[in-house]
Amino acid sequence: MVDLIAAWTAVFFTLGIYSILYRENPWYRIAESVYLGVAVGYGVSVDLLYIRNQWSGQWSASTGMILLFAIVMIVGLMWYGRFTKSTFYLYRWPLAIVVGTGIGLALRTVIDAQFLQQIVAQVKTPFFVAGNMGATINNILIQIMVPSVLLYFWFTGTIRESAPMKVVEKIARYTMMAGFGSAYGYTVLTRYSLFIGRSQFLLGIPPNDPENQLAFIAIAFIMLVSMIGWDLTHKKAPEV
Amino acid sequence: MSIMDKINNLDRRIIYLLAWIFVLFPLIFPLGLPIPISSDARSWYNFVENNVHDGDTVIFSLMYGTSGMPELFPMSVATMKHILQKDVKFVVLGFWTEGPLVFNALLRQVNPADYGKVYGVDWINLGYIPGGETAMGALATSFQNSVAVDFVEGRPLSDFPIMDNIRTATDIDLIISFETGTPGAPEWLRQWNTAYGVHIIVGCIGVSVPGMIPYINSGQISALMPGLTVSAEYELLLNKPGLAVAGVDAVSTSHLLIVLLVVIGNLAFFMTKEEKK
Amino acid sequence: MTIIATLLQVIPYYFDIPVLSNVASTATNAVLLIVACATFVGVISVLMVHAKRVQRRTEGWYFSGLIIVFVVIMVLTGLPLQEFGLGSKNSIFNWIFTNIQTPLGGTMYSILAFFITSAAVRAFKARNIEAAIVLVSGTLMVMGNAPIFTNTVPVLVDISLWIRNIPNMATMRGVMIGAALGAVALAVRTLMGIERGYLRGGGED
Repeated sequence: MVDLIAAWTAVFFTLGIYSILYRENPWYRIAESVYLGVAVGYGVSVDLLYIRNQWSGQWSASTGMILLFAIVMIVGLMWYGRFTKSTFYLYRWPLAIVVGTGIGLALRTVIDAQFLQQIVAQVKTPFFVAGNMGATINNILIQIMVPSVLLYFWFTGTIRESAPMKVVEKIARYTMMAGFGSAYGYTVLTRYSLFIGRSQFLLGIPPNDPENQLAFIAIAFIMLVSMIGWDLTHKKAPEV
Repeated sequence: MSIMDKINNLDRRIIYLLAWIFVLFPLIFPLGLPIPISSDARSWYNFVENNVHDGDTVIFSLMYGTSGMPELFPMSVATMKHILQKDVKFVVLGFWTEGPLVFNALLRQVNPADYGKVYGVDWINLGYIPGGETAMGALATSFQNSVAVDFVEGRPLSDFPIMDNIRTATDIDLIISFETGTPGAPEWLRQWNTAYGVHIIVGCIGVSVPGMIPYINSGQISALMPGLTVSAEYELLLNKPGLAVAGVDAVSTSHLLIVLLVVIGNLAFFMTKEEKK
Repeated sequence: MTIIATLLQVIPYYFDIPVLSNVASTATNAVLLIVACATFVGVISVLMVHAKRVQRRTEGWYFSGLIIVFVVIMVLTGLPLQEFGLGSKNSIFNWIFTNIQTPLGGTMYSILAFFITSAAVRAFKARNIEAAIVLVSGTLMVMGNAPIFTNTVPVLVDISLWIRNIPNMATMRGVMIGAALGAVALAVRTLMGIERGYLRGGGED
């Protein structure tokens, strides 16, 4: 019985979200509200568990660490100064610490990971690959396209007005358009993969609960009838 | 109104209905279309098969929540099955809040005990570590300081034999990361690959794939699993067809719908333009 | 404080100073706790907004009530008090996560599939050369990801891989290098105290 309720609840909320495809409606608002509430509440659980577990580790090992833990907790409580104007200045302290640490951790390796390594890979790309015309053409294209894209975002000075830059701009634009087309293709794959996963759930395809299928048909029928019936009885063209 | 005008002004709910039909039909009536194996699937399979050696220590990181499960869960399950066939130690952890619960769902599909793996000796689950990239950096310098207790039993890490030899990033041989966004591969690269030279392979959703390609080209990421279709190919290479294979027919029909709609939409656009001229 | 926190991470990375390394390591772990402490900020913000709506009985106030109810349930059942049967192993918490959060989370993002489909026929038009390039490369990529096409026309796999590995790679590499330079510039500006936008708010500059 509990499994039955679980299956029907999950299907109800899934279809509640999908009901927006017909139009804005109370089923969707219910599902959306519940999702917001549950998502916000869930994060609290894992964060508090982490704090509790950390206390049982290095932070309770010595008096010095206990004192440090107390200071860290006080700094942590300063986040809540943001809710009143008079205490808003307190909120800036933990923010500054977190932002500074994040910048420091990223800054020390971003130059190597996302700058130098990419330039090295670009420079190491040979113009000519013996015995492989396809690879040669591809490498030449890369050696033309990457600098073009980089130069496309160069806005300093008047060099952009020059004739060679117009050519570079065109190459860069066409390169980026092809790249965005690639992004579009993969976006379609991702979104449909997510939808297919939910459809497998609704149809009760293993390892999903087969009970979902009956729930899908019944709840979809009820939702559609309620929305279409409401529109017909209120003689209003459904919102598109 | 000409037929092309009607197409240009088509009620979008008809399009939504077509999407439902094109996806549900092959799931209810499987088409059984053959799935050609791509170079991506082979690269991933070959890397796990040939570059993960017995005795290695691997981080298995589920960097996604319920929103990414449909696309990433099949590849996570398949890779876990592949890894469990080897004599490696693995550490499960994540920097996404829902990661541990996603892993619990994975355990319902794949039980390490069935492969003779003992919890605490061959594998351990360290759960969720808040803080994003900061947490990744902290973990790299000291596992024991960043995580006090394990996620499953809530006991200190010193109680588990597997953690005797895992202290910092230098004790890890490979990171297998399944991810949907931030924190993800760029953060792993900055905190673990660049700083400590740890190899990384990444399974990601399709949307993230274009951004991963420069890392593949430069060798910073050793292998990439880009989305559901390649997951299905990987399942076939492992001879363990699962959720991904079951869904690939629907990928085909849905993509067919997109192509048809693009063609029809552009035909309508050009013919309407001609009429107006 | 930002500058100190930043330098505390950067200096030990380039200079081998054991004391500083230990301090940096402890500081990093402290930051993880500080981040975790912010967990109630979202909860309080949501409760403040929606409690006002319930109090004023604005349109749709009952949905706000629903949000508040579920926030309270999840927070209370999820408190890490295993001695009282609460926490991540609590049955109500787990039931809500498995049967409400999981389906809702997966469904929310899958809706975009429909909008993309609608855009394919209504918006994705070859109005000029650039749009035509996006259209052609996008369509070829879509076909390259679907076995129904790659089985019939195997060269589509090579074409889609070419689009991914050449123009897309060039685009992303250029953007990545530019973004890395931008990130470094932003970090330096923050260190110099010029960039203080993240500290704004509360009605003050």
